[in-house]
Amino acid sequence: MNGFNGCPGSKTMELRKNNEEEENTGKITSHLRQWPIQMHLISPTAPYYQGADVLLTADCVAYALGGFHRDYLKGKSIAIACPKLDEGQEMYVKKIKSWIEDAKINTLSVLIMQVPCCMGLVGLAREAARQSDRKIPIKQTVVGLEGDILKEEWLSA
Amino acid sequence: MEEYLNRGIKEIIKEFPKIGEILDGYGIGCAPCSVGTCLLKDIVEIHDLSPEDEQEMMGRIAGIIYPDRKMEIPLRKKKTHTNKEIKYSPPLKKLVDEHRLIKRWVALIPGIIKKVDVERADDRTLVLSGVEFIQQYADRYHHAKEEDILFKYFDEEQDVIKAMLEDHKKARSHVRALLKGLEERNNAAVKEHLRAYAELLTEHIKKEDEILYPWMDRQLTIGQIGTLFTKFGEVDMKHQDLHKNYEKIIDRFVTE
Repeated sequence: MNGFNGCPGSKTMELRKNNEEEENTGKITSHLRQWPIQMHLISPTAPYYQGADVLLTADCVAYALGGFHRDYLKGKSIAIACPKLDEGQEMYVKKIKSWIEDAKINTLSVLIMQVPCCMGLVGLAREAARQSDRKIPIKQTVVGLEGDILKEEWLSA
Repeated sequence: MEEYLNRGIKEIIKEFPKIGEILDGYGIGCAPCSVGTCLLKDIVEIHDLSPEDEQEMMGRIAGIIYPDRKMEIPLRKKKTHTNKEIKYSPPLKKLVDEHRLIKRWVALIPGIIKKVDVERADDRTLVLSGVEFIQQYADRYHHAKEEDILFKYFDEEQDVIKAMLEDHKKARSHVRALLKGLEERNNAAVKEHLRAYAELLTEHIKKEDEILYPWMDRQLTIGQIGTLFTKFGEVDMKHQDLHKNYEKIIDRFVTE
């Protein structure tokens, strides 16, 4: 019998590994430069979104990606969401559209986990971009469960 | 090896012709390059071979330069190697799309060379419309996007950029010679410069599509990509319908 059953997004897995040699010592700087960050709470026209490079990231990404602050958040404005569990996602499409058209953001990076349900976040970004008259570069990054980057590609502007 | 990594490729190939063949075997076509001042280390970096291929190629090159020494080339860990279909960022994809139209015109040139007779007014008009496309679209629109916007994000003293600018200059000089040939009703000169222009642009576009733009995409930050996209969009707004109009003209050339 095949051992795989049910949703890969909620499948139980142990990812323990020996990372002792990679442990950093000392304080690690946070690159978060705004509040709030949850998609329902943010205002898409807040000053920190104006002309910004915006990161739209699935909730789980920051926990999986070891260098999240340094490699992805640094220099960007952010909003987080869970495309599987959040309700009222039509509001997310409106807010992303408002980022593009009203806040005139420079770029949008969508960071998702490798689980299939996360693709919904890319779908929301695509839909908002389709509805917008203004076009911007949108990049999709897929993060593996062990914090590796599985795919990084530009979606058509 | 360090000494050779910092030397111009043409100079190295001149001293060790076999290295040109080795590079060619890895899809690095430096041997026929018209400039050839790129440093070996930049060429290795820019072509983004897989770590294994890069190690093997550098080992073979070292074997040619130092046949009496046994040199160990370390496997270099690389963050960005992508040995697959090239996916450009949106602004560079715009430039690649513009190349497609230029390549369609370049593909018509051999047919034009065969039949052109500059004594005939119709043939002169045909060549002049091609020249107008080169000047308005390929040069003032497309090359200007590169020279006035894209290249400004890089050190223009880098050999790879200098080589591209040199190609642009040569293309312009062929156009000037072509126009002179038309004026003087010199059929041979017109044909010669049409052929030279086609050869130059074919090689130039290949270098940009396959090597330069993917390398630039790896160097640019996401913020720079966004700004480039906006700046290219502003140029496109200024030249509204230029692409569409020339697409129609090229379509007409094809059917005639």
